[in-house]
Amino acid sequence: MNTTDQCSYMTHGAVMPFCKGCGHSNILKKLNDALGLLQLDPHDVCLVTDIGCIGLADALFDKVHTVHTTHGRSTGFATGIAVADKVLASGKLKTIVLIGDGGSMIGLLHIVNAALMNVDVTVIVANNFLFGMTGGQTSSLTPEHFNTITSPFGSMNPSLDICQIADASKAGFIARKTATDKDLTETISEAITFNGFAIVEVLELCTEHGTKRNEIKGNMLAKMAEDEGHEIGVIKNSHARPEFSKKYETDVHSHKGDIKPHKYISPQFNHDLRSPNEIIISGSAGERVQSTAAMFTEAALMCGLHVTQKNDNPVTQGSGFSLSEVIISPQEINFTGVSSADYVVVVSENGLKEIQGQDIFNRINEKTIFIIDETLTIEKKGLNLVVLPLRRLCGSDKAAVGAFDYVIRKFEPFPHEPFKQLLAKRFGEYGKIFKEEFYNLF
Amino acid sequence: MIFIAAAKTKRKSFFIQTILSNFVKLVLHYYYGITMNSQNQKLALRSGNQMTAEGAIKAGCKFFAGYPITPASGIYKGLIDLLPLNNGIAISSPDEISALAYCVGASMRGVKAMTATSGPGWALMIETVQYALITETPVVISVVQRLGPCTGGATQGAQGDILITEFATSGGYTIPVLYPSTAKECYELTIEAFNWAEKYRTPVVLLSDKEIGMTTESVDYNKLKISAPEHRHLISENDADFSEWKMYGFDSPGMIAKFAPVGSKVKVTATGSAHNTKGSLKKNDPETLAVLKHLEDKIRAHKDEMSLVKEDHEEGADTLIISFGITARTMKDSVANLRKQGCKVSSLTIYCMFPVPEKAILKAAIGCKNIFIAEENFSGQYRMIIAPLLKNYNVYGINKLGTMITPNEITERIMKL
Repeated sequence: MNTTDQCSYMTHGAVMPFCKGCGHSNILKKLNDALGLLQLDPHDVCLVTDIGCIGLADALFDKVHTVHTTHGRSTGFATGIAVADKVLASGKLKTIVLIGDGGSMIGLLHIVNAALMNVDVTVIVANNFLFGMTGGQTSSLTPEHFNTITSPFGSMNPSLDICQIADASKAGFIARKTATDKDLTETISEAITFNGFAIVEVLELCTEHGTKRNEIKGNMLAKMAEDEGHEIGVIKNSHARPEFSKKYETDVHSHKGDIKPHKYISPQFNHDLRSPNEIIISGSAGERVQSTAAMFTEAALMCGLHVTQKNDNPVTQGSGFSLSEVIISPQEINFTGVSSADYVVVVSENGLKEIQGQDIFNRINEKTIFIIDETLTIEKKGLNLVVLPLRRLCGSDKAAVGAFDYVIRKFEPFPHEPFKQLLAKRFGEYGKIFKEEFYNLF
Repeated sequence: MIFIAAAKTKRKSFFIQTILSNFVKLVLHYYYGITMNSQNQKLALRSGNQMTAEGAIKAGCKFFAGYPITPASGIYKGLIDLLPLNNGIAISSPDEISALAYCVGASMRGVKAMTATSGPGWALMIETVQYALITETPVVISVVQRLGPCTGGATQGAQGDILITEFATSGGYTIPVLYPSTAKECYELTIEAFNWAEKYRTPVVLLSDKEIGMTTESVDYNKLKISAPEHRHLISENDADFSEWKMYGFDSPGMIAKFAPVGSKVKVTATGSAHNTKGSLKKNDPETLAVLKHLEDKIRAHKDEMSLVKEDHEEGADTLIISFGITARTMKDSVANLRKQGCKVSSLTIYCMFPVPEKAILKAAIGCKNIFIAEENFSGQYRMIIAPLLKNYNVYGINKLGTMITPNEITERIMKL
């Protein structure tokens, strides 16, 4: 079939590369007619084509933008194009995906997510029930009992109803047509006009692989679909959901004032620290171990010290142990691990188990000070132990806070004031955070 | 010493504090390497991932699509917060394949885009990376390494994805790979990654690892070295060279054609299949083969300007240590220890892993006998790559799996020789 002069979006005189009688020729002609009906500026149209015979469409459309992608991923690329266009660029682009039945299953999640997002993309699924370009193999949209070279006794599985998938994915425009439907042009143009995600599945015949193995003709396609329980026609046309960029504008962009960028610190305090201090604190998840270590490093930063904080926890994050390795130093810090701890702080049973499990005892020296809660016992002999009623006086959720407060007050790696300020900001008046007895601990 | 003692004890008088403290600072700085705090500092506690997100903003990134994965999720969260504030958009994708496909699509529409993942996600992205490469679409992918293979260890660091990030294309094309070693460098090299993606119209990998990505550290924003963001070189109908322009055209190995975004007034023909300079699919066509070769030539031609390393040379050293990423920091401490013990040793930190900075490596090796390559993987992945360059040297690996290599481990290995 030759394209005619009226085919304004197609290459003049281009020869359809498809087999005689193949439905693809008809689908592309109707797509071209639909673009003509809408009188779209060709520069405002992007055809995103998938792998397979239908992907040969690019070469036929020489006026619109064409993006020929990897197998099944066309809707994914199209989503990126459409979002960028609507949110960040002209917003005029109409993005149309041409995909086969094989590709639509490979890239099903891209179709589902594009529908959920309601991006302005139209997906045309050219469904000829098999992988044609590779020799006529079964696809997930092959009807049950349909004969292909890889289902010589009939396909074993029922075919996927991609329109129902689209419906479950809240697509606004859903249609199932056949390639010979007289109103296919109108349906495609409706889909393209639809501001949001639209899908049109077009049933057709592969004359090379489909009709030779199956008693089937073009006028039987609708009946075939119905036998599979698949609805025919325009199944849904609803603007109930806003197109993605509109939703983004109201749901995210209008809230951008609520996002606070992080603050910078100009050191306001001095420190007398001459060499790095290395601290390991170990406790339980949910008991502010890592967040307090972060306050400690922030206080050190307020004194102009260099700091690093390396956290460790099980993959579950909210259960088990929680551990931080902190280094504060007057010089730049290279190696971020604690190799010879000055302080090891253990505030809970989980924390104790973890430091016994890790090689922490190989990372201490004879001067290392162990600060542990009074409820814990370390069997290892010869440690410089400081046993404190942290959980009792500070509460289980602030035992780590108390431990750091104690380290700063007792050993003065840097002034107490910045840490006090941070605590007051987080928990209210410093003198009321812990039980009174705690403030007298030394 | 008297001044240092004065600084050390609690200051008793206003006099000492005001008159002597500046002098004390000077003494401490020049003789002991200690810098007292200064008003010129603009500090924050940041992780490498957060700095990558901030660097992306500075580079002009306007689009991010992400899928969560430890240890890269911090970049995703960072840009979800930052992009709406900077006239951009960050979206969540249903998997890593979609994440990169969204980014490549957005970049085709003309905006700078990035995603972030770790080993398992990178495995899923490989097809799409190749698509970006063959369509010459700029995009940045941050790969924050964790312990592999497969799901491996989500919360354990590693440097085991060096080979899989680089050798991810059928045909063996060079994907530029940058590798920072600190949070500060994450910021700086993210900008570089975007600049390279634009300049050379290529996907660029920003490699890092769990320890760099998730460890927070003090960053002085006043010390950031910020490269000017490279803008995309776009073609327009009014350009003098428009009549000769082709989307994939070139007249020399180093030439990079101007870019046309889909949706502009210049028609775009893009395809992941082998194509000619216009983007048309052609089989066994000399021009198409020339385009395929040019994809590699254009990177090789700019190899020298992409050679980013930091050399710490010691006169008379017979030993050179080479490292990158988190292990480069360990190497620094080890070099200081070795020198204290009287060992003469030089070091080389690699920032541009690929294309391999061959000349810089050979230059650093001059005068040395023994070369150690320290990396946190068991097989010596980068050693395999650069060993053929270093045939005239004794090349040794310092390797470890599961936890960071420590300064002592490097020092002891070198002292053992």
